This record gives sequence, C-alpha cells and structure tokens, in this order.
Amino acid sequence: MLTPGDLAPDFSLARLDGTDWRLDEEVVGGPLLLAFIETDCPTCRLAIPYLKRLAEALGANRHRVVVVSQDGDADTRELVDTYDVGFPVLLDVDLETSRTYDPPSVPALFLVGQGGQVEFSGVGFHKEDLNSVAERMLSGLGLPVRTVADLDDGAPLMKPGCTSRHLELVGSLEAGVSPEPIDLLPERAPRASRLELPKDEDPYEYCMNAGFSPFLPVVPPTAERVDAFLAAISHEPDRVVGLVPPCYGPATIEKIAANAVMAGCKPEYMEVLIPVIRAACDERFNLHGVQATTHAATPLIMLSGPAATRLGFASGAGAFGNVARANSSVGRALQLMMANLGGALPGGIDMSALGNPGRFSYCVAENHAESPWEPLHVELGFGPEESTVTLFAAGGLTEVSEHNARTGAGVLRTIAATLSMVWSWRRCGRVDAVVVLCPEHVATLNADRFSKSDVRDFLFDNTGVPLRAFDHDGTEGTQLRETYEEIVIDDEPHYRKFSDPSQIKIIVVGGTAGKFSAVVGGWLTGAEGSQTVTYPVKW
Amino acid sequence: MSTLVNPLDERSSDGQSPAPRLDSLEGKTLALLDISKPRGKEFLDRLEQILKERYGVAEVVREVKSTYTKPAPGALIERLGFVDGVIEALAD
Repeated sequence: MLTPGDLAPDFSLARLDGTDWRLDEEVVGGPLLLAFIETDCPTCRLAIPYLKRLAEALGANRHRVVVVSQDGDADTRELVDTYDVGFPVLLDVDLETSRTYDPPSVPALFLVGQGGQVEFSGVGFHKEDLNSVAERMLSGLGLPVRTVADLDDGAPLMKPGCTSRHLELVGSLEAGVSPEPIDLLPERAPRASRLELPKDEDPYEYCMNAGFSPFLPVVPPTAERVDAFLAAISHEPDRVVGLVPPCYGPATIEKIAANAVMAGCKPEYMEVLIPVIRAACDERFNLHGVQATTHAATPLIMLSGPAATRLGFASGAGAFGNVARANSSVGRALQLMMANLGGALPGGIDMSALGNPGRFSYCVAENHAESPWEPLHVELGFGPEESTVTLFAAGGLTEVSEHNARTGAGVLRTIAATLSMVWSWRRCGRVDAVVVLCPEHVATLNADRFSKSDVRDFLFDNTGVPLRAFDHDGTEGTQLRETYEEIVIDDEPHYRKFSDPSQIKIIVVGGTAGKFSAVVGGWLTGAEGSQTVTYPVKW
Repeated sequence: MSTLVNPLDERSSDGQSPAPRLDSLEGKTLALLDISKPRGKEFLDRLEQILKERYGVAEVVREVKSTYTKPAPGALIERLGFVDGVIEALAD
C-alpha cells in the first residue's frame, strides 16, 4: 500500500458518466482525496456520508473528493443514487489502479498533495482519520476547518473494512487482467501421481535425481508416510491451500504433506505449514519477487503463541540454528515447496546473486518466557490464546554484540548502528528489518522501563546515516537523497534510515546467556516490494 | 518395491517459444518498457535516441511498470500488442 512520501502513480479512469478522469490533471491547484470502495462493503457505505460532508465543506472544491469504485457500473450507480453522491465517482473495473495503490482493505483513503505525493493513507473507517484529512484539505485551501465526523454521533469511532477486491482471489479473475488468465482460487486440484521406486535403486538418490531436492537429500515421500500425514488432518488431500508463485503450482494438502515428509516434519506440523503456505501465497508478500530477485531475500518464518511451544519450536538458545526438528523441518518444507511447486530453482527463476543460508531453513519462534512485553501475535491484534505465523522477506542475520552498555539506551544505540547498514549504507526510506532482541538485552531494556513501542520509537529516532557519508557521488542511495528526511542524532545531521517506525519489526529470541542481539535486513518493503504478512494458526 | 507420492508441480508445462526475432530495426515500431528502477527515464531517453539515429527505428512507444518487483499488468501488455518489438529495460 502506498504510504506518505510515496509519489502517487498517475492513472486515468472513466467517471460514472463515461468521461475520462486523470490524476495529473485533477491534482493541479490543490489536494485530492482518493477513496477506494466496494459497493457491498458495509464499512464503505458507513464512510460515504462523511465523505459527502467533507465535499460539502469544500464547496467549490468538492470535486477534490474522489471515490474509486472497485465494482461495475450498475452496482456503483445504485450506491451513488442511494447516497445522492455529488463528487466524482470513478470505475476501476479491471482493478489496475487498486493494484497500484494496493490497499489491503477498503475503504482506503489516499490524500494526494498537489505535488503528487501521498500525504496520508489509511484503511478502514476511522473518524479521527477523516477529521484529520478534512483539516488538512480545508486549511490547505484556506477554507474554515470543520469536523466532518462527530465522535458522538452514534456511529462507531472505527470499523474495519473488507478485503480490497484486488486481493480477493476470486475477484481478480476479470478476463483480460492477466496475459495468461489463471484460476487464482481453485478449490481442488488433481491428486498427486504415484511413482514406483525401481527395484534396487537407492531411494535417497532416486529423490535427488528425480528433482525432488537436487541440493540436499530428503526423506523419501513414501505413500505410507504421506498417508500418515493425511490421516492427522481433517482436510481432503486434493484441497488447494494456495498457488505458489512464481509458477503458481497448486499446494494441495497432499503436496504439502509430501514435501513436509521430505523435509523431516512430523504430521502435527501440518497445523503450522498450512498457514505458512497461505502467507507465502498472499499477494502482499510478493513471493514472485522474493523468488526471482537477485537479492538474497527468502521468507523468514516467525511463530508466536502457544502453538509454537506445544509443537516443540525452539525460541531459546540457538533458535536460528540446527536446534529443533520443528524449526528445521518446517522452514525446509517451505523452501522445498517454493522450488517444487513455485518453480524457483537457483540459476533459473531464482536469480539470487549470493543465495542465503536461510534458503535451507529459516524459522524461529518468539521466546515469550523471556519477554516482559506483549508477544508478537498480541501486538498484531490477535488474542493471547491464539498463535500466528509471520513471514518476512529476509536477508542474512547480523549479530550485534553489546556486553558493556548498562542502560537500555546504550544497548539500542549499538543496535541502531547495525540497523543503519540495512540494505546498503546510504539507502534510506523504503527499507525494513527485524530486530531480534536477546533476553539479556531485553532485561536491560525492561529495567529501564522501555516498552516494545518505546524500543521501536527509540530505534526509529536514532537510526540514521550521517550526511558526511554522502560526500561521494555515484554511490547507491545518493541519487535518492532528496527524498530523505534530515534529523539530528548525537548533535550530528543525519538522514533518517526508516520512513516509518512500522518498518522496524521486533521479536525476542535466544538463550539467557550472551548479550548478542541481531538485525535481519529485509528486501524492498511496501506495496512495491514485499509486505510482512501474518496468518493465524488454525484449521 | 515402494511407492512414492510425487511432490512436484505436475501441471503440463507447454513450452512457449520466443516470438520470431526481427531481421532489422529499420522502420520498426519498438516499445521501451521502463521497469521503474531509479533513473530509468534517463537511460531510456538515450536508448530511444540511439535507436532512432543509429538504427532507423521509425517510432518508439514508452510504457512504465509501476514496480520492477512484480509482473507487468495484463492491460499494459495488451496495450503493447501492436508494436514490432519490446525492450524491457533496467537502470540503477
């Protein structure tokens, strides 16, 4: 999803009356509020009267409120008639503009300044957002500021919306949208074929030669072993969980089971593997790009919640290494499916210059026992009793030793120095990272009363690249410096490394001895790259 | 003898062969697809100039992908259906 600071991509769409509307023409002279909606979304319908109120307050500038409907002519006309809408309503029937702006849900608001930059973006219905957008638009145009969403008018202060049409898998099946239209959500796919192992052939060598895993031996996926996995779960073997990019091979329950057997999983790990595949196939994660890039990124699986402990995932000493069957085999099962069902093999579609040891397996659980803070899944809005898998497009792990700092701020300043190196020294803005905090550092932070959000804010405000690093032209990141935000860290001018605190993810992992935290740099973040996605662990 | 469950994608992969190559660029209409890497426009401006001046390309059509990390939208590919050839171009 586009975020503040992004350049709003130009687009043209037909108005409901058939005439052409162009962003670059309309944004001249003042800001525009683009509101993406679906006609059958209750939250979108809740928002329409407030948008009308804003349009009324804008008077002669009422055309600066623009609704982008993700539905067809007839449904949109019904909505416009019902609410007596007077501002422009555009039809994004092929969802191309929705894909470009990429809101996860609707209603989605994008305030575009007259310079063409996104000044605000948000999804769902939020009265405070509506009022803040109204204030910016009205004051920017020299008009009296008015409250458009009375907090006490009986409507909720906030209400989540519906999944944006371009992410509704069935809704993306408009003819002509893809050069090779594919069924994005088949419920069933053909059963896996059975292969008879030739007599006297070593089963391990057979699997390698057959391309099941050409780079490391696997457990042969015998029918008996796969059947034991299928017996452990309630889903039909031919049910499709996801289509694995970039070649979109169907990950049926049976194919997941066969690859899980090969990776050395236990049958009960299917409970986690199913949401892992869902997350990997989520369009927002952009596994297509992650698999095809020349960067070293690969999915890092982060488990949070009681299921991790119940299934034996390691979160303590050595959690990123070869320490527990659950971590090693679940991470490996995903990697096998990315190759066997996604079709990305090194040197072919997988064009990573260096690769990444995480491409064997990259899976950790959060160490809740050693964390005084809310667990990752609770921070993300799930209940304490729930469990989640979160996928992050990750590069390598860089350890940060800090054995001398006695204060939380001291620990964080050292981590910030490593964090400033993420992606590339002079590249700021659209980068992200996971900060892995070890229990000893967490104890120091907790003693100094740092909450998790305090940690994130401190790192956001103290991670930067000094301006003196930009003395040499022609190095990566220098060409983008006009877009960077200048801040002062330790009395020296810096460019702020991250454009938003949410680009810093925080988990607590590791053993209780050793003051070693770590930074895991990401790939390109945001709607143009890979967004971190979280799925609940449930059947 | 034991039986294995095939763990691979078993859909038939009908190999698509590349379109015929152009004999020459002279008089042709070419598209330059900017994949949105930094400074792509400058690079493609120069490429367009060279194609016209040195190789006699009749017309150059310019299109831009919104991001280089994802496939081009179908509508964009359809818009380019009329050209003789497409150069998909990087920058950095």
